[in-house]
Amino acid sequence: MAFEILSSTSSSPLLEEKTELDEQLGTPWKVIVLNDPVNLMNYVVMVFKKVFGYNDTKATKHMMEVHEQGKSILWVGEREQAENYAYQLQRWRLQTILEKDD
Amino acid sequence: MIEFSLQVEARIIRAVLPELGKLFALSVKEEDYSDHFPDIDDPDFKEAWIEGLKQEAKDDRNALARLLKSPRLKYGRVEVKEDEVEDLLRGLTEIRFTIRKTSLKKLSDEELETGLADIPTKNPEVQIGFFAYLLMAEVQERLIQEIS
Repeated sequence: MAFEILSSTSSSPLLEEKTELDEQLGTPWKVIVLNDPVNLMNYVVMVFKKVFGYNDTKATKHMMEVHEQGKSILWVGEREQAENYAYQLQRWRLQTILEKDD
Repeated sequence: MIEFSLQVEARIIRAVLPELGKLFALSVKEEDYSDHFPDIDDPDFKEAWIEGLKQEAKDDRNALARLLKSPRLKYGRVEVKEDEVEDLLRGLTEIRFTIRKTSLKKLSDEELETGLADIPTKNPEVQIGFFAYLLMAEVQERLIQEIS
């Protein structure tokens, strides 16, 4: 209902601000881990299992993507949770970036 | 307590331990998390993020310091309290990054990843750094096996 009221005042700066915020909150974010020459393969698998609760097969698949393609998208979703995952991965010293999922 | 013996000659361990002490001090001095922050335009959030990583890294370094000071390490014996394992795993990674950026900075990523660096032809600093790097990897690998 709030959306209908706001949409009837399409020229309002408040609406533009609200729409921008909604877009930012609604846009999914990608958690991406980049390859590095230091971390051991079994360390990376262990971290993926701990942070995301992945099973061995899924964690190994992502680790191999990082190793062979230079990066892997580990998770896509709401920004706050994406930041939380990125922080945890950085805590384990994995090179992690966040990107909007355009 | 998790305990195991490394499959590394004790003379090699004794040779690299003094260098590891220096590298440990260097890793504390040169800590820099400023490039870790995601590309988000929010200075306050950035500061909180970096400060959080710095604070939490202290436990990791303390666990590593305890390992390096352990008198039994020079004989290849590793002993870690179970509640310190994760801290130690992270501390080991941090010191390996420090070694990479210092003693091993002249080696390519490929040489490091494949282990094909022609180490005997390198200068002593690189050689000692390389063995320190491998020793820390060995401890990490064994720890992961122990907790798996």
